Amino acid sequence: MTLADYLPIGLMMLIGIGFATGAMWVSWKIAPNVPSPEKLAPYECGIVPLQEPALRFPVKFYLVAMLFVIFDVELIFLFAWAVRFEAFGWTGIAAIGIFVALLVETLFYVWKRGALDWNVAHRDRYRRVVAEYEDEAA
Amino acid sequence: MGNIAFLPIGLEVALLVGAIGVLMVAVTMGRSSRDWAVVAGAAIGVGFVISVRQWVVVGESGTQLAFGTKGADGLAVANQMVAMDKFGALGGMILMVVVGLALIGSWQMVKDLGSRGAEFVALILLSAAGMHMMIVSANLIMLFIGLETASIALYVIAGFLRNRRGSDESAMKYFLMGSFASALFIYGVALVFAATGSTSLYGSTSIGQFLAGNAMPNPGILLIGIGLILVGLAFKMSAAPFHQWAPDVYQGAGTGAVAFMSTGVKVAAVAAMVRVLYIGFFQFYDDWSMAVALIAALSILVGTATAIAQSDLKRMLAYSGVAHAGFLLIAVLAARVSLDAMWFYLATYAVSLVGMLTVVTVVAGASAGPVSIESFRGLGKRSPMLAAAIAVFMFSMAGIPGTSGFVAKLVVFTAADLSGFRWLVVLALVASVAGLFFYLRIIVVAFFEDSDTEETPLTLTGPRIAIGFAVAVTVGLGLWPTLLLDFAREALPHL
Repeated sequence: MTLADYLPIGLMMLIGIGFATGAMWVSWKIAPNVPSPEKLAPYECGIVPLQEPALRFPVKFYLVAMLFVIFDVELIFLFAWAVRFEAFGWTGIAAIGIFVALLVETLFYVWKRGALDWNVAHRDRYRRVVAEYEDEAA
Repeated sequence: MGNIAFLPIGLEVALLVGAIGVLMVAVTMGRSSRDWAVVAGAAIGVGFVISVRQWVVVGESGTQLAFGTKGADGLAVANQMVAMDKFGALGGMILMVVVGLALIGSWQMVKDLGSRGAEFVALILLSAAGMHMMIVSANLIMLFIGLETASIALYVIAGFLRNRRGSDESAMKYFLMGSFASALFIYGVALVFAATGSTSLYGSTSIGQFLAGNAMPNPGILLIGIGLILVGLAFKMSAAPFHQWAPDVYQGAGTGAVAFMSTGVKVAAVAAMVRVLYIGFFQFYDDWSMAVALIAALSILVGTATAIAQSDLKRMLAYSGVAHAGFLLIAVLAARVSLDAMWFYLATYAVSLVGMLTVVTVVAGASAGPVSIESFRGLGKRSPMLAAAIAVFMFSMAGIPGTSGFVAKLVVFTAADLSGFRWLVVLALVASVAGLFFYLRIIVVAFFEDSDTEETPLTLTGPRIAIGFAVAVTVGLGLWPTLLLDFAREALPHL
């Protein structure tokens, strides 16, 4: 490989950079720029928002969403195995059993640690933990 | 079930079962850290025994590829993802010793973490399983899975002390830069696959077979692929110029976590690099050896020069780790002549570093973030034994005769000289002398400066065992290096 062999790559890079900056420059130059309050609003259609949609939701949703994704992916693997499960025989059953057992173990652990606990008593405990956390941070 | 070979992946299975066991024990029966210690210790012990068993079996019946289906003759025939050889067995033994030492030495941090301590222990076991998978993988995809298993666990471990801001920062930096390095690595694997049509290191359809059978007039894509794989592994072992994460991560993470993450991943990345480069891409030795040599030279220069300016002990050890990554890369180049130099350097450096960081956990606390060198003032009066241990570890890292570090440098430099890298050896020697400055400074601070406090650091039984063992290994292998060298000479990878 001599340096000349890299010339096409260099040219390609130059063309790419030139095209991107050129397109931005042209649209900035030729586009008419007449701002009005309506145009600067977040959305040009619909009702103007009266207040911030400051919805607070418990951080537990992340845990639930994460668990959902894990078991969603599990299902994909199970499906791939299930369509041909006869071909894999007992080895396949053992392998998929280990796989499912690992995920069940995960579920068991987060359950025991209180990730699926939605009741009020737990929410109080949650608040207490948050308060402790803030004390430590202060 | 009869046709799966379990021995080659036995260590990973043991560690995985151990990790699950720790978590299950934590939420059902025992909530005290003593119960977790029993489970984790058993897993590491079983892992070590399995590594020894692998060594014996390989000695009797030769290396084999496994983790696929066995044919009628009892040998693996397809999907060979894992190689069982003395290379992986010795790597497993070193890893188990390092993990065991790191856990014993930093057990106070597990206790400090309370109920989350079990997760910390489980993550360390899982990370160790991933590291060993990196060493034994016979396929680049398997290597990537091992790399990710090890790294993702390490990202979480780095951020475990989440009520300290530095720990969050440490985890975030490690995660962002680490995932970037992983992406580069897998891109390299993809390019190698594009060039050779294989990701396998062994067998009739391997990369090596393809390269041996086909002359490549224009190997551009392959070379870029090799380069990116090199970058990914160099990042994990914190070689310059991919080292910027190391000081911040080591400083922010709890000291107990650093003892494991700074040593284990280096062992894994160096061993994996040797296997990939020599088995997979030996035909391109002339091309990648120059790249490795340049990274080594840069690491040694940058690591040594920056370590001199540090006032934080953990940052100093991180930059000294960069320099040592450079020495280890010289060992990778020297592996063409002899592999025992690389193993000796890896084992002795890992043990010395774990011992040194255990001393740091004793002096500054297992969950401490930044540790100023000043906190070691007057340690020679306050706790002569600890100060003596520091002296041994620092002498070893600097390469003073009588310690294992001297022998390690000696064998690595000799082998590198034989493989034709005399300029690199000269540079490394000069840097070693410069490195004396910052290693000896710690000893000077500990012995010849007076401290304001008369407080004696409290040494618990765990750290005492870990430090004692590390000192014994460092001095013992310095005086009788053949104990390990003869052993390591046989630790060759499957060919």
